[in-house]
Amino acid sequence: MFPASNAFRSSRRSLLAGLGAAVAGLSFSGLEGCAQKGPVGPNGEELKLNLYNWDTYTGKTTLADFKAATGISVNMSLFATNDELFAKLKSGNPGFDVIVPSNEYVTRFRIADLLMPLDLAKIPNRANLLPAFRDPPFDPGRRYSMPYTWLVLGIGYRKSKVDGVPDSWKWIMDSDRYRGRIGVFSEADDMIELGAKYYGHSVRRIPLPVIDQVAEMWIRQKPHIKIFHHDEGQDLLLSGEVDIVMEYNGDIAQVMTEDPDLDFVVPREGSILNSDSLCIPRGAPRPDNAHRFINFLLDGKTGAGVYNTIKYPTPNAAALALMPEDYRNNPVIFPPAEIMARCEYADFEGLDRAHLFDETVTRIFAA
Amino acid sequence: MDESWKKAKGVFAALGAPPVLWLLAFFLVPLAIIWGYSFGENKSLTEIAVDGTFRNYLHAVRPLYLGIILKSFWFAALTTLFCLVVGFPVAIAITFASDKAKSWLLLLIMLPFWTNLLIRTYALMAVLRTEGYINFTLAFLWNGVSHLTALFGHPLGPFQPLELLHNNFAVVFGLVYVQLPFMVLPLYAALDRLDRSLLEASLDLGAGHFTTFRRVVVPLAMPGIVSGILVTLIPSVGAYLTPDLLGGPSSQMIANVIERQFKTANDWPFGAALSFLLMYMTFLAIAVQAIVSRNRRGRER
Amino acid sequence: MSGARAQPGPLEYLRRWPIRAWLAMVVIYLYAPLITLMAFSFNTSRRNIVWRGFTLDWYKAALADSDLIAAFGNSLTIAAVSTLVSVALGALMALLLWRFRFPFKPALEGALGLPIVVPEICMGVAMLVFFTEILPWPTDLIWPFNLGAIIISHISFSFSFVAIVIRGRLASFNRELEEAAKDLGAGEWRIFWDVIVPHMRPGLLAGALLAFTLSLDDFVITFFTSGPDTTTFPVKVYSMVRFSVTPEVNAASTILIVLTVALTAVALKVSGGAVATIEAGEGL
Repeated sequence: MFPASNAFRSSRRSLLAGLGAAVAGLSFSGLEGCAQKGPVGPNGEELKLNLYNWDTYTGKTTLADFKAATGISVNMSLFATNDELFAKLKSGNPGFDVIVPSNEYVTRFRIADLLMPLDLAKIPNRANLLPAFRDPPFDPGRRYSMPYTWLVLGIGYRKSKVDGVPDSWKWIMDSDRYRGRIGVFSEADDMIELGAKYYGHSVRRIPLPVIDQVAEMWIRQKPHIKIFHHDEGQDLLLSGEVDIVMEYNGDIAQVMTEDPDLDFVVPREGSILNSDSLCIPRGAPRPDNAHRFINFLLDGKTGAGVYNTIKYPTPNAAALALMPEDYRNNPVIFPPAEIMARCEYADFEGLDRAHLFDETVTRIFAA
Repeated sequence: MDESWKKAKGVFAALGAPPVLWLLAFFLVPLAIIWGYSFGENKSLTEIAVDGTFRNYLHAVRPLYLGIILKSFWFAALTTLFCLVVGFPVAIAITFASDKAKSWLLLLIMLPFWTNLLIRTYALMAVLRTEGYINFTLAFLWNGVSHLTALFGHPLGPFQPLELLHNNFAVVFGLVYVQLPFMVLPLYAALDRLDRSLLEASLDLGAGHFTTFRRVVVPLAMPGIVSGILVTLIPSVGAYLTPDLLGGPSSQMIANVIERQFKTANDWPFGAALSFLLMYMTFLAIAVQAIVSRNRRGRER
Repeated sequence: MSGARAQPGPLEYLRRWPIRAWLAMVVIYLYAPLITLMAFSFNTSRRNIVWRGFTLDWYKAALADSDLIAAFGNSLTIAAVSTLVSVALGALMALLLWRFRFPFKPALEGALGLPIVVPEICMGVAMLVFFTEILPWPTDLIWPFNLGAIIISHISFSFSFVAIVIRGRLASFNRELEEAAKDLGAGEWRIFWDVIVPHMRPGLLAGALLAFTLSLDDFVITFFTSGPDTTTFPVKVYSMVRFSVTPEVNAASTILIVLTVALTAVALKVSGGAVATIEAGEGL
């Protein structure tokens, strides 16, 4: 066992590796011969791809079309928050080929050296991107990521149960008017940063007193909140479990096609912008397939199929050109410019900050 | 047989080596690592150094986390209490049933235990939801009554669904639901060993059923009650799935916090310290039980 | 014991109506959710509450869902392998503790009890760290070797249960049988196979059933050790429940429930009820 003394200083990897070898005495050399070789494609990689994605984030036929075009079958797993994605990969890639982190997490993955640099020659369809998405601050020169969607957090609501348009974070964070019918997205960063936004502060470099103020506000508000959800706010809204919910624009736009009583607004205080990005994690078993898949998603026609289903705004000019009017002029998907001007991207501000946010949220949940 | 291991060293080694090595390599070593991590700290986004710091434990015993642990124990205690109250009559019924009825009843109680925990929790969600089966049934009854009263000119007004899911009630309800068989079985095992003539004597001597229960059955079944409490309490304190799926804004239990340290917050050393804190408390509970039962045995002798 | 039961006396609590009513309510509490879950897997309505008509579409959807089927296959494979190994290890451990006196025996007994009392979440995180830091299990192994990490974790928590059940059974072994066999000239190996193993058999079966259900039931520990190619049925259902609830989940659950009930019934039939009494008697 580990003696709990200061004399015991060692890098954890060498220590644990030694311990492991001593105790288990096991080696996988015998099993290496069993390494999986299913049907192999022309690039020497197995005809398979593990995609780790957000829920409701591909077109109805996207994966089937990719299989028809390349013979590669895609196995999709879902995550609900960026933190979950990061945690799953931080201790070694368990076999994913393509992941979809948001902007500030692209930074975080890069700092942790968990991303494989992209071979841009294998992604000719990047020429389809809108100019605004070609050289973002979180990934200068697009060396590690390709944009898949951009999105904005706002308020989804049921028109018949809400008075007028709830165009302020107040109705979610700081009011008992919709007591017991409020749903809040449980991602720590979003809860703190949007709280700061409500108090008129930027979502970046939030001063400590403001964080405390935000925590106190959430604690005050908690008795009125029905549920802290894991990105299934649109389902809760659709099933009548809540009437007003913090969610992404695309998710609400999706369910609005099923229920005309639903609507979405970006509050007047402004909100957080995200750019969900396609990346290849280090240790991806099938990097060439991953490049092909990313290139496939950036194709105009594929993109149109995706955005028609997921109703998220696209960073892809070729796809946008193929989209119908009711997508291009949809104020839920593309909120008005004066509101968008008040929205901003968040930054990765270091590990201590991440812990502070998490602990603040634990405090809110525990209160 | 209880022979000394020296008499048959070959047999002893052949029997002992596989299970003991397994226990060591695939159970004690993983626990030891977590224990080691609980004295470590994050060096970067991916590196942890085990340097013997007590920081994590100091962090874990702050009021915030102690409060969550306390709340977990409170939920677990409520669960155990309800299981005991609900389960005792069931155990009595099984104990004093005929042989045939007994095996059927046992099966009836144990069958849900053999069904997947996640599925049982999911079934509860469908029952408790705002638009779930309970509210649906209540709305049906309410509307029926409302029709009747409308005949006399007093309709009841629209039905207000009960808020049953996503709150602390749902968590305790769900925990009782999944833990009940664990309480009934040890109770039954203890009651079954009970000397019935003592009960009959008590009843013959004029004590009522309730008095007999209180003065004879409960003291005699105490070991079973204690082990039932323990097997219900320990898993309930560490429950993860039930609060996660049925709970509301204030239903966070300690297992959810531990899970977040590993799966989202990226603070393994702190998560390790929290889980070991939970482990120490479990050991404490078991030690207390062992002492209690030893004292009892001492007195009986 | 049996004397009191023969005469209809004051102790026949099952005949009293308050106890009967109580029992009925408990049974409803335990079964109503499961039965509605199963019933509504045949409902045409997607919203899952109002009965709209009978359909088998959700079963078709569940059976056509290749991810779900793969997860189901994984679960059954893991449960089968982990049961076999757990019963073997558990039986060895039980025999060791039953037969021998040796130093550190109480320590070993204590360690054996650990997997039963350690909170699931602690065991889950321990396995997560173990399989990422010490024994990184290759993810590209051919099926079913890629399930190794999960199988090992499952064996680690189930074989203690098995050992304890079998040891309980061995405690009731009549030593005179062994003496008699020895007197008749049977060797040690012969005694083991012809006398001890037959006596252990109900315990082995009870242990196997327990190990199988524990493995099939486990969510938390698997949740921490599974990867994209090694999803089990509970982990998959969790993801389905978490992201969107459709009657397809009900259909898949119903299949699993029917399967476990059938399996239990077979085990009970084979053992003539010994399984239930042994498991209950051990006071799990």
